[in-house]
Amino acid sequence: MATPRTLAASAAPPSLWDPVVRLTHWGIAVSVLLNAALDEGGSLLHVSLGWLVMALLLLRLVWGVLGPAEARFSAFPPNPVAALRHLGQLVSGRVREHPSHNPAGAMMAYAFWACLALVTVTGLYMTGGATPMQVAAEKAAVASGDWSALIKESEGESSDEDRGLRHTAEEVHEVVANLLLILAALHVAGVLVEARAMRRNLVAPMVLGHRRK
Amino acid sequence: MTASPDIVSAGRRQTAALSIFLMVQTLGTVFFVGDVIGDLRADPLSAHFIFEAMVTAALVLGILFGTFALRRTIELLRAQDQALAVARGALSDVIDRQFQTWALTPAERDVGFLALKGLDVAEIAELRGAAQGTVRAQLTRIYSKAGVSGRAQFAAFFVEDLLGEGVPEAAAQAAQ
Repeated sequence: MATPRTLAASAAPPSLWDPVVRLTHWGIAVSVLLNAALDEGGSLLHVSLGWLVMALLLLRLVWGVLGPAEARFSAFPPNPVAALRHLGQLVSGRVREHPSHNPAGAMMAYAFWACLALVTVTGLYMTGGATPMQVAAEKAAVASGDWSALIKESEGESSDEDRGLRHTAEEVHEVVANLLLILAALHVAGVLVEARAMRRNLVAPMVLGHRRK
Repeated sequence: MTASPDIVSAGRRQTAALSIFLMVQTLGTVFFVGDVIGDLRADPLSAHFIFEAMVTAALVLGILFGTFALRRTIELLRAQDQALAVARGALSDVIDRQFQTWALTPAERDVGFLALKGLDVAEIAELRGAAQGTVRAQLTRIYSKAGVSGRAQFAAFFVEDLLGEGVPEAAAQAAQ
């Protein structure tokens, strides 16, 4: 019968997430890892990747309002009680299917977005909102012996209050960046546990979906 | 249930291309907005800034419309996929019921299905691991149970209902 089959399909998470979800997911994942592990804070690459993350995050948030059903926030509202219940089900081994992110995964997504927003905003504050183009121009100027860019920068925040705020921003930036890495590790562990409990490949839908013959 | 791979992969390519375009557009807009905000701090009322603000608004609107269009495309593709699945399911239900009415044996049902799918006797025989003569005999029995003259009429039996109003007027007149 056709009807029950389509009903069952709509109650399960998608067999393939839409391209916007996948692009933003992997784009942010790779950028965050690169910025955390490889490049130097304040470098041109670091700032550029930060702006890339900001753009991807904004796109994902717009997609959360305008996108298809399972990508919209309404499909996975933040609900800590449901998240705990879901974790309980996971322990007992009987997991209910959800049409989008499961409640625990949803909380993880919102935590990620909050952290990403914090990291981006503090990063913007630390660079004085300079775009990668401006950073590149400044670095080129300094490299060519014109140090006026550096002087202007230090002049702008001569007051103690400014310096305190800047220090706080740096602290927050670092702490939240580390928190992001911890969340990422938890996220990977969650996917593995969930995939075992549901006996289903949960990674494929985020990559290319199942290969059809 | 094998979905037609052409439609699916074409739809996938289209949405993937649109998404990448949307991502590049967002990236460009975010950089541009950052630049405009820098200008705003420098000189908020210059003609340069007002022009840039308009461009920014256009870019942001473009992203919103692009997002909406992409969502519509994705939903349309899904609806088509589902409609196709439902139609397929409905057709195979109809065929099943008809085969039951004709009192076909399980083996005859299988052969009948394969014949409807357009396989020839040799292919059916190979698939079922049977002799071609057996398959030919089974087909003959199916046709006689269904009261049709042969394979063409047998297939037409199921297609006929899908064609709605029957023979078009012009064709009917030409036949008279």
